[in-house]
Amino acid sequence: MSNKLSSSVPTDREVVLGILNNSEDALNRLYIGYFPMVLKFILNNNGDEDDAKDVYQEAIIILYNKIKSGDFELSSKLKTYIYSVCRRIWLKKLSQQSKKTTNNLSDFEDVIAVEVDVEVHEEKDLQFEKMGSALLNLGEPCKTIIQDFYINNLSMQDICEKFGYTNTDNAKTQKYKCLQRLKKLFFQS
Amino acid sequence: MKNNIELEAIIDDYLQGRLSEEEVIALEQLRLNDPSVDHKIVTHKAFLDSLNQYGNVLSLKQQMEKAHQQIDVAALSEELRPHPSIVIKLWRRNKSAFAIAAAFLLLTISSIYSIQHSSSQNGTYEVMRREITNIKNNQNRLVRTINSSTSKTEKGPVKNAKFGGTGFALTANGYLCTNFHVIRDADSVYVQNNKGESFKAKVVYRDLQYDIAILKITDEAFEPLSNLPYKLKKNSIGMGENVYTLGYPKDDVVLGDGYISSKTGHAGDTTQYQVAIPINPGNSGGPLLDNYGNVIGVITAKENQVDGATFAIKSRYIQEALNAIPQDSLGKKVVFSKKNPLQGLSRTKQIDKIQNYVYMIKVYN
Repeated sequence: MSNKLSSSVPTDREVVLGILNNSEDALNRLYIGYFPMVLKFILNNNGDEDDAKDVYQEAIIILYNKIKSGDFELSSKLKTYIYSVCRRIWLKKLSQQSKKTTNNLSDFEDVIAVEVDVEVHEEKDLQFEKMGSALLNLGEPCKTIIQDFYINNLSMQDICEKFGYTNTDNAKTQKYKCLQRLKKLFFQS
Repeated sequence: MKNNIELEAIIDDYLQGRLSEEEVIALEQLRLNDPSVDHKIVTHKAFLDSLNQYGNVLSLKQQMEKAHQQIDVAALSEELRPHPSIVIKLWRRNKSAFAIAAAFLLLTISSIYSIQHSSSQNGTYEVMRREITNIKNNQNRLVRTINSSTSKTEKGPVKNAKFGGTGFALTANGYLCTNFHVIRDADSVYVQNNKGESFKAKVVYRDLQYDIAILKITDEAFEPLSNLPYKLKKNSIGMGENVYTLGYPKDDVVLGDGYISSKTGHAGDTTQYQVAIPINPGNSGGPLLDNYGNVIGVITAKENQVDGATFAIKSRYIQEALNAIPQDSLGKKVVFSKKNPLQGLSRTKQIDKIQNYVYMIKVYN
């Protein structure tokens, strides 16, 4: 392992604590630290840079959700975990592409069982896609109002000023109408 | 319809924690009485969770995008791409194997060098693991057959151990501390407690530099110990302090008594104490305890040709070794602490308690 790499990769504890405390720096270092490992794996198994990026980001999301949900136990190294998740996702993608399973992957790291985590994530990813398309169909200004209020945590007052509503009650009514429509779109799809 | 929107608005505020106390009580009352309201709250909660999750993932993706831009992907992939040349492919795949081979080579060279180097001094540093001789084996075998014919069936390996040492429990769930040199080139490791029961163990951590190894008892027959009676002492200890050790230079536990004679070890090594204590092969890896029953070090070696110069690694380095093991797998562990349950007990009582946590390490290769 080269010196340069090991000095930039944060320790496993740092990552877990960092993610729990929403530290952007920890995430940054985690991302940069393990990307080469995944890139190498994908490049050596019939993938390109974009595949590596997609697979890797999915794996980071899985790790992030797992840590955030609080049931993450550091029973293996993070490196092994990330590698195993990426491997699992890539295997699935390969088998979808070619309709046949490839079982001669070139491996570079230890692998642990992560099937359950990946499946849970697929479920969540479906929800994410649904919400994304529902928001898209919602159109403006509803989309921005909902995002500002529920995701960016702006106050009603801020939203009122941003969109030029005469008073917060008007903005509130508008927000609830938008929310109703979004809910309908989300549960219909 | 208007009523409905109002209710939804109240539920939304309720789930986001923006209602006043009375309003919360009123809504919860309504929820109890009207299942359709309860249903609305549950669906709305699921919806809000999805929305929340969506927001989190979205911002995570943005952050990752930012991080991704800092990486020079083109250069990296050039470096990591599968290479047409077979030699380089082979090198990359087996990098770790090559590294291990190289490390072994280095280790051999350096140990040969250090043996030659240290022999030029007056005394040599002699590690105290026990080479169990053939004669002793025969005796052991005799004792064991007698034992097994009387009552319980003998567990553990049939063959006799090649090397022996001592180790002591660090956690109640079977992590033990011993010397690295005790378990060096071990094929398999068994530990035996003072009742004569053997358990299979595996090496989970090796520290060549400080000569510390951590074992984990993996045997199914092993039952977790009750709470450890002793503590690790954090601060270093003064010269002249009375200390003692328990170890297995023979098949039963043996007490050694002495005092700290220097705060540095062999050739001024600050990671060790020099202790005036009689020890014999087999004592390696035993705990060094002070009068209050605190673990202050691990017996590791003695200088031959010099009387009463035994060396013990300071307890601080045990803690460092422990830190290298995932914390959740350790369970209840020994900690640095000022208060100690053994404090105030007479030495006989202390030993009575401690000896259940000191193990004979048997190494097979």
